[in-house]
Amino acid sequence: METAPRQIVAFGGGGFSMESGNPLLDDYVLGLAKAERPRVCFLPSASGDADHYIVRFYRAFSAHRCEPSHISLFRREQGPSDLRRHLLSQDLIYVGGGSVVSLLGVWRAHGIDSILREAWESGVILCGLSAGSLCWFAEAVTGFHGEPKRLRGMGLLPFSNCVHYERGGERRDAYHHFLREGMCGGYAAEDGAALHFVGEELSRVVASRPRARGYRLDVAGRRVVEMQIATTYLGDREALPAAPLPEALSTAPAPAAG
Amino acid sequence: MSGNGRLPEAATPVRRILALGGHEFSSRPPDRAVCELLLRLADERGGPRPRICILPTASGDTSEQISSFYAAFGERPCEPSDVSLFRLGRRPLALRDHLLNQDLIYVGGGSLLNLLAVWEAHDIASILSLAWRQGIVLAGQSAGAMCWFEAGITKSSGKPRAAAGLGLLSGSLCVHYNNEPERRAAYLDAVADGMPSGYGLDDYAGLLWEGEGSPSSLTARRGARAYRVSSREGEVLESPLPVRFLPAPAPAALREDIAEFRRITGMRKRAGWLG
Repeated sequence: METAPRQIVAFGGGGFSMESGNPLLDDYVLGLAKAERPRVCFLPSASGDADHYIVRFYRAFSAHRCEPSHISLFRREQGPSDLRRHLLSQDLIYVGGGSVVSLLGVWRAHGIDSILREAWESGVILCGLSAGSLCWFAEAVTGFHGEPKRLRGMGLLPFSNCVHYERGGERRDAYHHFLREGMCGGYAAEDGAALHFVGEELSRVVASRPRARGYRLDVAGRRVVEMQIATTYLGDREALPAAPLPEALSTAPAPAAG
Repeated sequence: MSGNGRLPEAATPVRRILALGGHEFSSRPPDRAVCELLLRLADERGGPRPRICILPTASGDTSEQISSFYAAFGERPCEPSDVSLFRLGRRPLALRDHLLNQDLIYVGGGSLLNLLAVWEAHDIASILSLAWRQGIVLAGQSAGAMCWFEAGITKSSGKPRAAAGLGLLSGSLCVHYNNEPERRAAYLDAVADGMPSGYGLDDYAGLLWEGEGSPSSLTARRGARAYRVSSREGEVLESPLPVRFLPAPAPAALREDIAEFRRITGMRKRAGWLG
């Protein structure tokens, strides 16, 4: 029997959480599921299972095109009692944004991290934005709590990750700094861009906004090399500007200031 | 000068914890009595305008819990604040400094399992332990009460089961004792099976530790009880503790601004300024 590939779609930011009226990224992940009416489970753990967020998920993933469900780890008396069985029976698991530190803490407490690894290995597609993107990687840059910080994720993907990677933002400087300090190389995505991994390889970068991009970052000695990745805009192709050639940028190490 | 954030005095500060079996922040008399007690405990440490902070972590930082806290304390003589670990993105703050600057830290109810997991991820436990040793009053209800003990009975995974707390107080606690027979049964079984002995608290019953020694028990609703639960040779004993009743303050006393407004209105009426 052919085993389904392991897939993760990591949004820099976007989908129903951030792009009201622009369903391109959500449609993309739903389209990856082979089932006619895919089973989609929302994990809003990073938001503390905020009610309004859950309502917005059900609005975006309405029952006429999929079989939506959610798991509230703060209200376990409601919802499925066998978390493992429920999660392993999904086609797509969608992780919301919020605090990645809290997310990982709560997941560990309920054993969700190991179930998600099992789900990924058995072909359930994993996706999410922001905290729901960072969590899948070995290392992550989080700016949620003020100053950007470096932290360990679940490590399904052996890279580092940075989300909301806007030009001139403080996360970019922080990411470059962490890379020079020994963080493993990895990927960044702007709001509206999503990194689609098949297995542990980046398969493609897709975007819900014509100008949103993904980036590959590596360290050579003390030098950070940042390369823009060709990105497929998922919207109206007429509006698509000519795809820019991959553009290598590099930043020299910061001057050895005190 | 404010009395807040002062240096500990030469004597070791009295360590105080108030554990409550269950209550809400509402305008009902027993809830008002609980608020009054929290305010008094905070006052005793912080002077006339104490700092009171809620940690709504166990609920997932629900707006409901946060707004009911502000509704209860917002117009009282204190400085209320909240530390919402799930919402720091919108409002970063220096966690440690903020918490250690309080007179009373109140922990709301919800999932004990998630509470401890999120605290561990954010390294909150060591801050709370330090706060306690510095004399900052620690308080809470339900999960926010059990968290101070070595163990409690939580329904965080659906069915009631034993879970570890921070262990600032020795022994165990079971909350909602009168309301949730399932939880009480699980507690009695756990104590029989070797969980450290401890206490059962009905909704509106509480235990107050002040310094060393046994806690005093209190209740904000007539009939609510506190029990000492212990095991002797495999048999579990529940002994009711004598409780002190906390009367609810009169609503008028709660709202000085309204009383003041009425006084002025009355004066104006008497003076013929108003129809």
